Amino acid sequence: MSENTNNLVTIHSFPHPILHVDCDAFFASVEQALKPELRGKPVVTGKERGIVACASYEAKALGVRRPMRLWDARKRVPGLICLPSDYETYSLYSKRMFAIMRRFTPAVEEYSIDEGFAELEGLRRIYRTGYPEIAWKIKDAIQRELGITVSVGLSASKTLAKLASKEQKPDGFTVVRGREIHLFLRKMPLDRVCGFGPNLTALLQKNGIRTVLDYILKPEAWARKLLGKIGVELWHELRGEAVYPVTAEEKHDYLSVSKSKTFTPPSEDKNFVRAQLVRNLESVFIKLRRHRLRAQRIAVYLRTQDYRSYGLEAELDRGTSSALEAVPVADQLFEKIFRAGTLYRLTGVVLSKIEGEDRALQYSLFDDTAKIRSLRAIDRVIDDLSDLFGKHTLHLGTTLWLGRYRQHLSERGDLPARKAQLLRGETFRQRVHIPMWQIRV
Amino acid sequence: MKRIDFSSVLQKLRNFYSGRKRVPSFSEMQQLFGYRSKGGVSCLVGHLLERGILERDRSGRLLPTFHLESRLKLLGNIQAGFPSPAEEELADTLSLDEFLIRKPQSSYLVKVTGDSMIEAGIMPGDLVIVERGRDPRPGDIVIAEVDGAWTMKYFGKRGNRIFLQAANKKYAPFFPSEKLTIGGVVVANVRKYK
Repeated sequence: MSENTNNLVTIHSFPHPILHVDCDAFFASVEQALKPELRGKPVVTGKERGIVACASYEAKALGVRRPMRLWDARKRVPGLICLPSDYETYSLYSKRMFAIMRRFTPAVEEYSIDEGFAELEGLRRIYRTGYPEIAWKIKDAIQRELGITVSVGLSASKTLAKLASKEQKPDGFTVVRGREIHLFLRKMPLDRVCGFGPNLTALLQKNGIRTVLDYILKPEAWARKLLGKIGVELWHELRGEAVYPVTAEEKHDYLSVSKSKTFTPPSEDKNFVRAQLVRNLESVFIKLRRHRLRAQRIAVYLRTQDYRSYGLEAELDRGTSSALEAVPVADQLFEKIFRAGTLYRLTGVVLSKIEGEDRALQYSLFDDTAKIRSLRAIDRVIDDLSDLFGKHTLHLGTTLWLGRYRQHLSERGDLPARKAQLLRGETFRQRVHIPMWQIRV
Repeated sequence: MKRIDFSSVLQKLRNFYSGRKRVPSFSEMQQLFGYRSKGGVSCLVGHLLERGILERDRSGRLLPTFHLESRLKLLGNIQAGFPSPAEEELADTLSLDEFLIRKPQSSYLVKVTGDSMIEAGIMPGDLVIVERGRDPRPGDIVIAEVDGAWTMKYFGKRGNRIFLQAANKKYAPFFPSEKLTIGGVVVANVRKYK
């Protein structure tokens, strides 16, 4: 038997065709698409955080890596272009990418901001062509309409499709048919597989497994014994038998909701640091209410200038969706953590024990239900005003200590172009939801 | 436990029903609502029966009810009666967004700075909506890249030759000799005064 037919795992081409689309250097590519003068140049985003959040391929070629400190990256690449992150525009692009994928099939899973899965089964009939051609059409539509490149992988399971899209980057197009799986995995290192972390990889190597092909050629029972349920699932996935479904529905169940923000320069001003914390608290509850949730547990943490974190958490008698109810609790926690004379650089809030707002609420004997009702009315006003005039229009007095300060006083406080040049009628908090192409015509 | 979002369930059921004039089967519902097993579907169907959204006939087959008819408007699970004529009429109107933008996924804003289209009524400071990745036809206004600079011009063809024409007497028609990149086609122009 020849090498090519030895170890064959399946003879089907696509028992269950799944596409993985992965944007190439997403944030930097979006910047380059909207500002054509940046094309072909080393660009990084993350200026407001002082680290490289995303590096363009030109910057990567010069040795810039994530999450390098900007200062180091600049030293390495003198002409490096550093941009503040424009998450609003990145999110618009992300939504557009998924919308384009959904034009082809409704079964699209938004895996993260810049990657997604699509199930193509059955589409051959509509497009009268093979799965690889359909995959190419999707890639082409995204690239043509968004002006960024994506790498796609087409194979028989999510795990294989993801491996395939990573195979050739950027602008990659990799198809792994069922009968080619064993060839594709022959030299594939274990740690490339999504699900094989450093520990599992080390364990497998200890057992003489070097490549992914070695792994899938072991019997199923062996995988189960060594790695348990995950091991068996991945064993099937890697053999082209899809175990993980493409879940098209939006995420609704949250385990926790959090919000944290860094500020520069670091501060030891108690009022200021508390104001930062309360602002995060307000933001996290706005987010909570948008998803129609309540939270019962609240954690507060502060990070000092030397990157040490201190946190405490407390549980409320019942779930709440009101920042006003949480402030006294957060304040108590803050008093316990805050040390005078220490410089802080970040505050954060994590809400957990989350439940839906429509669940019946168990009041305790001492709850003032009239007050709770009026708090809820205030929240509605806060949210209505946010819709009309932007977030934090109506806010707690404590946050006045923030002053006119916007997170960063140094050049890290530079605004993304979209926020710096507002159109007539736009405000700092609300802009037209269409990306602005920054060209002079 | 997973909470059931009845409004979205109902929406999906209605879409299915309006398309195929029947209630989806259990396996179709499994797909439709993203359940891992039919057990989950059966639980959901239980709720739907309880709320009177679906009914069973004597043989146990699922039957649609008036809730699945899309002409009736439903608020929660309370039937709100026939929609007012005004609402009915407004169902087929366009928002200004939809009116100006044909393909939302590939439309971008460009702020005009130059005067090359001034005689076509596009002034500096205007905001044009540009569709990316669309093939231009003669007479379209396009955004094009010529020698590294971007410009907005009429797109034209003379025989097989492509040319760009400004709507401004100051500029002569331009016949690109080498590479010409068409960035997109202008589909609308917005000017906001207040």
